[in-house]
Amino acid sequence: MALEKQEKRLVAEKGEHIIARHLIEDDHIKEEKNLVIDGVDVSGRWNTFITTRVDSEFDRAFFQEIKETVVGSRINRCWQCGMCTASCTVTPLYRRFNPRAFIYMMQLGNLKELKKYVDVAWRCVGCYKCSQRCPKQVNPAEMMEALALLIKKYFPEELEGKLKIDEEVKKIYEDMILGHGRLDLAKLHTSSMQKMGKTKDLIGKIERDAIFKMAKDGRAFSILRLGKPHNWGKSKDAIENYLKNVKTIENEAM
Amino acid sequence: MAENILVIGGGPAGMQSATLLADLGVNVSLVERDSYLGGNPKKFKYKFLFPDMQPADNVIGELIRKTETNSNIKIYYSSEVSDFKENGKKFDVTIKSPNGNETKTFDSVIVATGFEHFDPARDAKYSYQLFDDVIDIKDLERMFGEGNVNRPSNGQPPKNVAFILCVGSRDRHVGNQYCSRVCCTVSVKQAIELREHFPDCEVYIFYMDIRTYGFFEDLYWEAMEEHDVQIVKGRVAEITSGPNNTVICKGEDTLLRGPFEIPFDMVVLASGMEGGPQSPEMAKKLGLELDEHGFLKPQNVTLAPFKSNKKGVFLAGACTGPKAISDSITEGGAAAMDAYVYAMKNK
Ligand SMILES: Cc1cc2nc3c(=O)[nH]c(=O)nc-3n(C[C@H](O)[C@H](O)[C@H](O)COP(=O)(O)OP(=O)(O)OC[C@H]3O[C@@H](n4cnc5c(N)ncnc54)[C@H](O)[C@@H]3O)c2cc1C
Ligand code: SF4
Ligand code: SF4
Ligand code: SF4
Repeated sequence: MALEKQEKRLVAEKGEHIIARHLIEDDHIKEEKNLVIDGVDVSGRWNTFITTRVDSEFDRAFFQEIKETVVGSRINRCWQCGMCTASCTVTPLYRRFNPRAFIYMMQLGNLKELKKYVDVAWRCVGCYKCSQRCPKQVNPAEMMEALALLIKKYFPEELEGKLKIDEEVKKIYEDMILGHGRLDLAKLHTSSMQKMGKTKDLIGKIERDAIFKMAKDGRAFSILRLGKPHNWGKSKDAIENYLKNVKTIENEAM
Repeated sequence: MAENILVIGGGPAGMQSATLLADLGVNVSLVERDSYLGGNPKKFKYKFLFPDMQPADNVIGELIRKTETNSNIKIYYSSEVSDFKENGKKFDVTIKSPNGNETKTFDSVIVATGFEHFDPARDAKYSYQLFDDVIDIKDLERMFGEGNVNRPSNGQPPKNVAFILCVGSRDRHVGNQYCSRVCCTVSVKQAIELREHFPDCEVYIFYMDIRTYGFFEDLYWEAMEEHDVQIVKGRVAEITSGPNNTVICKGEDTLLRGPFEIPFDMVVLASGMEGGPQSPEMAKKLGLELDEHGFLKPQNVTLAPFKSNKKGVFLAGACTGPKAISDSITEGGAAAMDAYVYAMKNK
């Protein structure tokens, strides 16, 4: 095994020769593969440079920017107690998703740090358990929304790679909301199974049992009877209007 | 003729006012809601007091004896002020006691109705009353007072105990923004007592800040340095039941940046102090002002902390906000002075 690996590796990895390399993050190592200075070849390890790992500023302009958004307006309230992270549905699954820590990074304008979490920062499921318990009523759930907007604005390329908005899924949601006035979980489940190519599993044992149970206790029929929300026509118009506007703005931007 | 002064509330503050005035020759009427004197320290059987761990009897017992034996003090137990009217610069007050109603004219009045403990059941995330082994600091005081600090669920000694600070305080969610001032010190004191009582039991304190202000800091240092009490920075968001009859604290360690779910044999909630129902009741009956925290409001918190907004009515002790016994006793003395001066001037 070890031998095979050695054979494959032709080019030296960045900063490879640094002792305790694992303590230094990629971003902090500057190393030019090909560099000639005054006729002297200093390629690779000969020009390796480790930038400072000391934070040298707090960026309050960034704090102000967050504070001016509707969802982030209470950022100045947070005193870092950790109640939000402690309540969070997502943190036990992704330890790197930490609403308290994200809020702190936002308070100090530490974009460098935030950037490391682009892959998990949008994982909030909107359960609002954090907001319900936050002793300062920061509304951390909405701060996570502020964070998502911010990531979209400051790290669009990183986001592109990590997170693809699936147009098809978006369409399913839109049709469902506009058509029925609410999310239809059964339909959502069906669509997602179909998308994953698991049509066969749709009527698997678990589903069959569930359908049987729901038919027995009457829930299946009450679902069929589900009407649209009161005064749905007006809301539907409003949503359609909104979506149209969003699309126009997006088109203009492009 | 001697002055008549009414003291409402027979806790540390009220007893200090009453005994000092009585020593000056004033006729004092002391109205106490309970059937005994001593206030919260007596009710919850505090055994040893911070900051110096002296027996509560040295302080509370001593005050009770002094009050009960002073012939210038008439104590009305299990009683209340049922009617309160201004009469020029004086006050006509009806005291309702088990022996019937009595109306008297007083030259001045001291309100020392104290505080109530925050009821942790009001904050559902802590599962107080759901699990026997989740108790609060007043329960633990009483357990020490009664000489049994084993686990309420099974009578066994606990192997690990968690204290959770700021329960019912510093929390918009429960409606109390203020710091209750004593609960940090009570917690480190009890942590020491537990370690002394059960040397094999590990004690942890979950904190956001530890506010053992002034010299109370000594107890905090002692808890860590002499008793190996471990502090963990973070608040607990949920208490659930765990394996082997334990209770699990779910929280975030904000220094390690990560969630924890740790089983404990016993959890002690550091519940804070509230103005209780008596503060609005006094405000209404006597025409006093309440502050935004639910305590009685002094005329000027800095210049006249013992004067109420009503001339001739004075305030002492925890009825104006959370404080320690020493402060309550100091205020009892200060309010007695104010009340005496007012009575003398309007003779
Ligand atoms: C768990 C805990 C432990 C503590 N341990 C310590 C300690 O070790 N050392 C320390 O210095 N401090 C300690 N304290 C603080 C201490 O309890 C208070 O400082 C003190 O009790 C305040 O005295 P008080 O007389 O103002 O009020 P209270 O003790 O509350 O007494 C008020 C009295 O007024 C009576 N009353 C109320 N309403 C009425 C009414 N409407 N009519 C007639 N009577 C009424 C009550 O029955 C009570 O007897 C502790 C507090 C807590 C919560
Ligand atoms: S958002 Fe609220 S719960 Fe979270 S750390 Fe800040 S103050 Fe605490
Ligand atoms: S709303 Fe988001 S951040 Fe808040 S607890 Fe739920 S998943 Fe976590
Ligand atoms: S004294 Fe300590 S536990 Fe009590 S409210 Fe203040 S900080 Fe919280």
